[in-house]
Amino acid sequence: MENRPLEYDYTVAKMFMFTTIVLGIVGMLIGVILAFQLAFPSVNTILGEGLAEYTNFSRLRPLHTDAVIFGFTLSGIFATWYYVGQRVLKVSMAESGLLMFLGKLHFWLYLIVVAAVVVTLFMGITTSKEYAEFEWPIDIAVVVVWVLWGMGLFGLIGIRREKSLYISIWYYIATFLGIAMLYLFNNMEIPTYFASGGIGSWWHSVSMYAGTNDALVQWWYGHNAVAFGFTVPIVAMIYYFLPKESGQAIYSYKLSLLSFWGLMFVYLWAGGHHLLYSTVPDWMQTMGSIFSVILILPSWGSAINMLLTMKGEWQQVAASPLIKFMILASTFYMFSTLEGPIQAIKSVNAIAHFTDWIVGHVHDGVLGWVGFMIMASLFHMAPRVFKREIYSKSLMATQFWIQTLGVVLYFTSMWIAGITQGMMWRAHDEFGNLAYSFIDTVTVLHPYYTIRGVGGLLYLVGFLMFAYNIYKTMSARPVEESELQNASPMGA
Amino acid sequence: MFHWLEKHPFFFAVGVFVTIAFAGLIEILPNFAQASRPVIGTAPYSTLELAGRHVYIKNSCNACHSQLVRPFKSETDRYGHYSLSGEYAYDRPFLWGSKRTGPDLMRVGNYRTTDWHENHMKDPASVVPGSIMPAYKWMFTNNADVDTAYAEQLTVANAFSVPYNEPVPMKDGSTKIVKMGKNLAEARALALAEAKEIVADMKDQDVKDAVARGEIPEIVAIIAYMNSLK
Amino acid sequence: MDIAELQAYGYFALTATLVVVLYGYIYHLYSKKKDADGHDYEDYSNMALKDDITDTPVSAVSDDKEK
Repeated sequence: MENRPLEYDYTVAKMFMFTTIVLGIVGMLIGVILAFQLAFPSVNTILGEGLAEYTNFSRLRPLHTDAVIFGFTLSGIFATWYYVGQRVLKVSMAESGLLMFLGKLHFWLYLIVVAAVVVTLFMGITTSKEYAEFEWPIDIAVVVVWVLWGMGLFGLIGIRREKSLYISIWYYIATFLGIAMLYLFNNMEIPTYFASGGIGSWWHSVSMYAGTNDALVQWWYGHNAVAFGFTVPIVAMIYYFLPKESGQAIYSYKLSLLSFWGLMFVYLWAGGHHLLYSTVPDWMQTMGSIFSVILILPSWGSAINMLLTMKGEWQQVAASPLIKFMILASTFYMFSTLEGPIQAIKSVNAIAHFTDWIVGHVHDGVLGWVGFMIMASLFHMAPRVFKREIYSKSLMATQFWIQTLGVVLYFTSMWIAGITQGMMWRAHDEFGNLAYSFIDTVTVLHPYYTIRGVGGLLYLVGFLMFAYNIYKTMSARPVEESELQNASPMGA
Repeated sequence: MFHWLEKHPFFFAVGVFVTIAFAGLIEILPNFAQASRPVIGTAPYSTLELAGRHVYIKNSCNACHSQLVRPFKSETDRYGHYSLSGEYAYDRPFLWGSKRTGPDLMRVGNYRTTDWHENHMKDPASVVPGSIMPAYKWMFTNNADVDTAYAEQLTVANAFSVPYNEPVPMKDGSTKIVKMGKNLAEARALALAEAKEIVADMKDQDVKDAVARGEIPEIVAIIAYMNSLK
Repeated sequence: MDIAELQAYGYFALTATLVVVLYGYIYHLYSKKKDADGHDYEDYSNMALKDDITDTPVSAVSDDKEK
């Protein structure tokens, strides 16, 4: 055996980078279709009446959310884990055959689950619970995938050279534990086929919780799936990639530790804000409201820490589109973690709930924060994984501006739509009768739905540019190890 | 203590887990028994209604329609009495929804008829001009899955003591018995009998013929379900 | 004393404990500034900055074993 120096092994990271991009395109494409279906209902039969069952809004909607959450974002989380994990623990996956095997198994099983989800959701096999639509056979497979990731995660930590765990690792661990707990408890269900002695569809199940309890568990899950899918792991990414790309040490490592514990403690309580004015007990609603507002502190702790990391180095933001992505992501993180608590205030929620303002909030978080951060991470990883410079810097800059415009169009139109509709629903005339019928409050939204569709389309276009840029990077100019220390090498 | 935690990933993980599990324990568990008690007037779903509920879920109706009337004048004016916790005692899963692209359906059975739903599902804009809801024409040809609905009834009756074949108190002081078949054949017959009552008010000849043949198209089941929402 | 009251006391005690722990942690971080091994907390930023496999770890696992 030849005596080669030890290197980090990015095989599994590469695989997940691939699914991040493919599933990102799928999820966003479906999203754009959905947006135009709301603006122009004829898009529901885009592939003809015969296929209307599979192309109409109601079948595609869960596919969109799940493709973006469990396809794009989760792949991004895994891809960055298999990259960052090795580096900050200073141990290569090549050193352990078992970990390599687990990683690959993790990927392939994940891919199988994704395929199963796509097929079943198109068929309309769903439990209806948002972001937990999968029926029990898939739930079991999800648990297996998750355990495989956990084994790889703790296995790598077990053989590390660096004794202390970098802050990003803390966040990855929290992601693993949080989702594991939430997913298990929310998906407690009884397969009816077995419970009834073999009657009906074998995949059907019934929730162990009923009504209000089910709602409480679901939104405890739903809100915290956002916490541990869209916040915690993305914070893990920015804590690694921003310092690394800019060459700046984190402004205050101590603050990052504090924010971590603050976030862990506060986040879980906030789920009740999805159920304000519902039939869950009042004190839980109030608790949800209060903790949502407190949540600003740890969230901003991280975000400000990131912005201050760039202190004295702001020329890098102007010079590098990659840094731009991360700084904008961080800014959107601050923005949506302020917007969320505002919406969780009871009197604001009375207007905002059930409207498009909530949809807008989700999207400035996911498009602005999650999407930008994952793309930035992949841009940073690509030169190191492929040992080549990023294909085009100008393409990256163009993409940045197109997508930023897309996000801005998206959330501004949804703000207006949401508040308009919320106010119209509650308007009474001088005799105390409702001022508008429901359909009045729908037709008025048409222009905003159209603008939103355009915004989403711009973001998708930008994402396709991203995919192209990464694809071309694989055959761009090879680079030396020395060029990869901090700022990523980019072609014109 | 803190130093030690930083160097021991296992105990660190335990610490994280305790911190995040804490909220769930406090918030969710203690109220469980109380919240699952039905109010008077709430009855379990019949086989056909449950099959209709499955059609509702299959087509993600809950993505655009809520089933939760909040306690505001504007909402009670529009949709009827605000929701009570016990009214959801037999809802597995809950279908409150999170977005009202269309109106709330919590009490749609009070103010819409079989005939209205039939026309609406075929072509929403013909009933509500300007509607952006897609048409659901396949519900007129696909058959509802009565067997699975029956399996679910059996499951919840056994596992959660849902009162099938037992008198349930109603608001006017009377009682109501929701029947569940003793075996699959009886369940199918019960569902078909209920379907016949629904199609009596429908116009679509193909659907009428299908029910006469002993089939139950999805549209019949979902109308039965929506008529039961009161 | 019913379950709700117990729940309230339990909740209060646990929250108070966690708040004390969190503030204790803040105090600990900013007063000690260094962890048990004598590393300044801020040094740990270097785990990201110097993360080549040939770089020296900020605090190596092997250091422990040599002792």
